[in-house]
Amino acid sequence: MNGIYIHFPFCEKRCTYCAFSSFCNLQEKDRYIDKLLEEIDEFDTKNLKINENLPIFHKNNDNFDENNILKVDSIYIGGGTPSLLEVKDLEKIFASLNKKFKFARDSEITIECNPNSLTEEKLACYKKLGINRLSLGVQSVDDEKLKFLGRLHSSSQALEAIRLAKKYFDNISVDMLIGIKGQEEQAFIDELDSLIEEGVNHISTYMLQVEEGTELARQYQKNPFLLPDEDETVKIYEKTRKFLANRGFIQYEISNFAQKNKESRHNIKYWTGENYVGFGLSAHSYIYGFRSANANNFSDYYSGKKVLYEKLDKGQLIEEAVMLGLRCYCGVDITYLRKLGYDIENNENFSYFCDKNIIKKENNRVFLNPKYYGISNYIIVKLLG
Amino acid sequence: MDRIKKIRNFCIVAHIDHGKSTLADRLIEKTGTLAKRDMQDQLLDSMELEREKGITIKLTPTRMNYTCEGEEYELNLIDTPGHVDFTYEVSRSLAACEGAILIVDASQGVEAQTLANAYLAIDNNLEILPVINKIDLPSARPEEVKKEIEDIVGIPAMHAPCISAKDGTNIDEVLQMIVKEFPCPKGDENGKLKCLIFDSYYDNFKGAICLIRVFDGKVKVGDKIKMMQTGKIFDVTEVGIFVPYAKQTGQLLAGDVGYLAGSIKNISDIEVGDTITNFYDPINTPLPGYKKVQPVVFCGIFPVDGAKYNELKDSLEKLKLNDASLEYQPEVSQALGFGFRCGFLGLLHLEIITERLEREFNLDIITTAPSVYYRVHKTNGQMIEISNPSSLPSPVEIDYIEEPIVKAYIYAPPEYVGAIMELCQEKRGIYKDLTYIDTNRVRLYYILPLGEIIYDFFDSLKSRTKGYASLDYEIAGFEKSDLVRVDILLNGEKCDALSIIVHKDKAYSRGRALTEKLKKIIPRQLFEVPIQAAIGSKIIARETVSAMRKDVLAKCYGGDITRKRKLLEKQKEGKKRMRKIGSVEIPSEAFMSILKLDDEDK
Repeated sequence: MNGIYIHFPFCEKRCTYCAFSSFCNLQEKDRYIDKLLEEIDEFDTKNLKINENLPIFHKNNDNFDENNILKVDSIYIGGGTPSLLEVKDLEKIFASLNKKFKFARDSEITIECNPNSLTEEKLACYKKLGINRLSLGVQSVDDEKLKFLGRLHSSSQALEAIRLAKKYFDNISVDMLIGIKGQEEQAFIDELDSLIEEGVNHISTYMLQVEEGTELARQYQKNPFLLPDEDETVKIYEKTRKFLANRGFIQYEISNFAQKNKESRHNIKYWTGENYVGFGLSAHSYIYGFRSANANNFSDYYSGKKVLYEKLDKGQLIEEAVMLGLRCYCGVDITYLRKLGYDIENNENFSYFCDKNIIKKENNRVFLNPKYYGISNYIIVKLLG
Repeated sequence: MDRIKKIRNFCIVAHIDHGKSTLADRLIEKTGTLAKRDMQDQLLDSMELEREKGITIKLTPTRMNYTCEGEEYELNLIDTPGHVDFTYEVSRSLAACEGAILIVDASQGVEAQTLANAYLAIDNNLEILPVINKIDLPSARPEEVKKEIEDIVGIPAMHAPCISAKDGTNIDEVLQMIVKEFPCPKGDENGKLKCLIFDSYYDNFKGAICLIRVFDGKVKVGDKIKMMQTGKIFDVTEVGIFVPYAKQTGQLLAGDVGYLAGSIKNISDIEVGDTITNFYDPINTPLPGYKKVQPVVFCGIFPVDGAKYNELKDSLEKLKLNDASLEYQPEVSQALGFGFRCGFLGLLHLEIITERLEREFNLDIITTAPSVYYRVHKTNGQMIEISNPSSLPSPVEIDYIEEPIVKAYIYAPPEYVGAIMELCQEKRGIYKDLTYIDTNRVRLYYILPLGEIIYDFFDSLKSRTKGYASLDYEIAGFEKSDLVRVDILLNGEKCDALSIIVHKDKAYSRGRALTEKLKKIIPRQLFEVPIQAAIGSKIIARETVSAMRKDVLAKCYGGDITRKRKLLEKQKEGKKRMRKIGSVEIPSEAFMSILKLDDEDK
């Protein structure tokens, strides 16, 4: 079914490594919310087109209701720091969405929160509004590392935030960063352990990357030893995979681990080619084989400018299906690829990779052996050649 | 006989960059051969590559008319290539002249090729007129340079014109000198036909064209002619001169310089230095000085994309049409597939050809490290010549190997003598002589293996002497040498395209440098890749490229997958330039990198 992404691009302070659209000019917030609501109001299912290159699509089955209204079963409010959103604004956003979309009763509704801006009062309101999943930007449970990353919270604040959130929610995710200088394998595992002790249900582990234009990039230029060796980073990642598996977490994507039935429904849509509609600054949408993205500066966004609008051709659809499918436990549907004109089993590397147990074929799908997630790009390129 | 007295055949010789082509431009302009609006810089360097590199590769003769003291003269300028690779071509065009203008840069003074070219001109009994160029430069020191010429070259230079070819200063003086000082050609237009071929090129409509100097007799359309060295016979279909474009004249007489066409399909039928005579009324003895041109540097050229083999073949054929000295034959490499083993006159020639393949024919090619040819004397008494390291027989079959050596002359300011001697020592040079040319310049004379010269000698020389040294060399035969083949094994598999032949004493250090270099170049793969250097079955160096661990883009935020796609595109591009050897992928530049070991790893 369809998902909705809402972008809230404001932060109290920008983290050193962050390359996403986020701004600290909170005075812009009210105007932004107005424009965001406008954008939602202007959404019209009549404008949706279907890319005929798609071999299968779901129109008329469970994507629309009888009044041609798009059915939705996930909302993700990301940022920025969405926990800075005032409750009254959240209410308005939900009201607007309700007018335009038909929500499934069991919709997954996630909001990203920073541990330092979380209060019990807010949590209660979120719950009342129907939010049922929290994603906490913990990043580390080591004060030194948090300082290096430019985060505003301390490790004890992070744990406290989880404790607080647990009172209201039973689906809590945390983001953690791998690959910070000085990070020790066992210490990181202990950090994960402490989070699981607090009762988190979902853990995303991202590898720290130097992105152009960030504070981290500036520091890195002066000091190339700012980041640990790649091999070290991957070692910690591998250890993480094993540890979380032992603790009952399923790795359903390269960076994502969840307890049973706590996989993020919304995230999975990104990997499986389901529709999602993005609203807000720099938000991306994918609807029936069309990709689009809003501008990532305020004036262009307000004027309704798109920085991307493309109809994927068959080659792109094939590439995306392989690239995204192999990243997650869903794998890639061989029949789907064949309908697009690509027989992946004829790829020169396919049988070699199968022999080496790098990929496996099962139920007419191809899966990447999680042991090779660390070098997934390499494998993906080989399977597309 | 007045006609021949009004002809002056001359060439311009110089060290590279001393202003040869610029002076040629000025002469053409001054004599009104071409209107100024038709001029483009370095007119005679017609190839894009020639202009860019500031070198002359192909010769272009030009006829100019010049009136001096009421008499009209016919001046034939024969431009010459200015690089040591093309010494033989230079010597043949000099043989077509009576005079040579020796240009010397007013600030640089006498350099290696100044001297080498001046001696070539002296060997050909030419009248030499020194000209001091670039007097517009602030650092010009014309009087000192004149003295240098007298001291070093040994020809009078005090009355040499001081010019600026760039600004057009004193060009008239040069023209008058050409008329007054250079002798007119000698020859009998009623005698038997005797012509020198000093260059050739290919014309799509007329076939191969000979550039000729007529010494005796005349040649006209309809004549039957014979090439005395190759024995080939042709009917003359067109003769003419260059002004500087080709202009038909119907005939050429003794003393003239021009071109001749005869429906010659194959440029290999025309050999530079050959003598043309009349088939029905031939002379008995050809002109002296003919040599069969032999390539001295070899390398393998392979298409990056194996499917482009035929395109590469066609392109080489087309280049060969215009360049008889290019040699190639098919070669199969286990590592690189089908390609060609190509022979060149020198490193510059190699560079020109590979660059033209890439630019003019738009081919992506892999070039293996250049090699010289070796004479391998086998224990069974047989002698074979090889230019490809992988064709070296196994050590037990080899009695001994000989390698080509050169006489090398290096000119430099005295303060660099130590550095140069050290370099020559490292390159297995044998010291012969050191002469002080004047207080500012010495000449070092070494015997060096050619194989060391082509292995980054020139670059090292330049960098160790801050660019002040210049080098000239000539092939001086073969010498017995203790050589071995170093093979490179990737993941235990020999990669034939990476094998090199080196002196035994250098095998270890070269093997180590090579494995270290390859470790840097070969990207990490799925599995660990050992890189080994071996002599026979003995491993002499080893490095390991550890297995790839990280190649993943982590965050895919808010459904933005465009960045992932871009990365994927980039990786796909990179993959195209990879070659697979067994299970190991190596980038195509690895094959040439063998050459660049020393400068980086010092």
